[in-house]
Amino acid sequence: MPGIDECLSGAMAIAGARAASLVDWGSGLALGSLGDGPTGEHETSAAEATDLVRAAVESQTFTAAEDRRSPLEDIIVTAGRSYHLIRFIDTVFDSRLVLHLWLDRAEGNLAAARFRLQALAEELVLG
Amino acid sequence: MTTATGTVPPPAEYAAPRTPGEALALLADRRATGALYGPLGTLHLVDGEVVGAESPRAPGLADLLTGCGRITPEHWSELVHVHGPRARVGEVLVERRLITRGELELGHLGTLFDAAFFVLADHGGGFWRFESDTRHWLGPVATVDPERLCREVERRRRLLDRIWPWAQLDTAPVRPVEHSRRPSHRPPGRRRRELLDHADGRRTPADLARLLGRSGFGVTADVRRLAAAGLLDAPSATVPSTTLPSSAVPSATEPPVAASQAAVPPPVARAAAAGRTLGGLHRRIPGASLRGAAQSGAVIVGTVQVGPVVAAPAAAARAAAPGPAVPGPVAPGPAAGTSARPERQPTPAAAHPLTVPDPDIALLTRVRDLLEARL
Repeated sequence: MPGIDECLSGAMAIAGARAASLVDWGSGLALGSLGDGPTGEHETSAAEATDLVRAAVESQTFTAAEDRRSPLEDIIVTAGRSYHLIRFIDTVFDSRLVLHLWLDRAEGNLAAARFRLQALAEELVLG
Repeated sequence: MTTATGTVPPPAEYAAPRTPGEALALLADRRATGALYGPLGTLHLVDGEVVGAESPRAPGLADLLTGCGRITPEHWSELVHVHGPRARVGEVLVERRLITRGELELGHLGTLFDAAFFVLADHGGGFWRFESDTRHWLGPVATVDPERLCREVERRRRLLDRIWPWAQLDTAPVRPVEHSRRPSHRPPGRRRRELLDHADGRRTPADLARLLGRSGFGVTADVRRLAAAGLLDAPSATVPSTTLPSSAVPSATEPPVAASQAAVPPPVARAAAAGRTLGGLHRRIPGASLRGAAQSGAVIVGTVQVGPVVAAPAAAARAAAPGPAVPGPVAPGPAAGTSARPERQPTPAAAHPLTVPDPDIALLTRVRDLLEARL
């Protein structure tokens, strides 16, 4: 049964993965991190990813027409040399968690990484 | 379970820690095992690492799991009663497939950081006590480095002050301001709307967190965001003693807070709040809260109140039963510097003049002009 460490190791095993973090976007805390984050500090990256997530979650445009409980599944940021995949984790108790994967654009495959990250997020809470 | 505290010389030989963070660092250096009781909750340590935290201000793992219906309160009490004394509750939860390993870790770490924030960010002084060799009922799940915990607490404290530097909101009963019920002034986000709907002028942020099964810090931050948007306030004549539910941990910080709570926000802010115009209510001038934060920086420096922090691996503590941590009698120590905190309500952002003509105001003006024209 996977815990946080296994989940992050699984994310780092995705082709092209540079860094993976489990972030509580309610507070901006990185509950766990692996790899070398884009800013060199996982704590900084977690706080900044939190701002992006909150902006999306609290916007009418992205959430008004969606399911109320978990309106968003993931956020993908495409940069020149990398992707950022931010996957929402749905827990039975109230939490605000995302899995943040930083992916090399040349080495990684966005579609495959997205599916894998979805599976990892589900395994983390469903066992 | 091993502990280093038994061989440590009496604390009198050490410089007494002056803040909760220093006390925690001292215990970490000694690789202590036990429980550190403060006015606002408890930190549990094993070999100098933090393995758990509890605070009446933050819902615990039990609240999360029973609140969402995953486990009934009766079942939970039975689990803690049977497996708590051997510190196996976490293990049993996973073994019996009541929750997954991942859920246990997420819930545990989330509640640990949440409670630790309220325990450690409290600079109100009061009496601190360390009891060695106690074991937490949950058992080993995940440990947190004390230094990292203190860094996180400091980060969260700064984050709150950046949102809206009004610390009294965190302990006061809050209520929505009248106009927040209008559809045009509903806050963004499901969570903040629910929070506003449950704020009734009697519940404090801690009550709301427990009611909604959310993290105490998350609710505290959202309450400050709602206040910053001018949608929620705290009636000035509040009695903060209701903020601590029937807790075994007495708080020495209550009197100073109670004294300061009576302080009425400055007339400027109140007048501004009363005279707010429609439409500008939830607008914020960029940088408005930053100006407020700069003010509060000075405020906080002036209000650091340090009480006696006692880290005593007392032999008497050994008699304490393991299992569910039951704090012994704690002498409510005299809180040093009990002067009222000079914290005050920051000027609402909406009180600043609007830089952009507001469409709502423009519409109202047009309606008024039309009506007047027909007179």
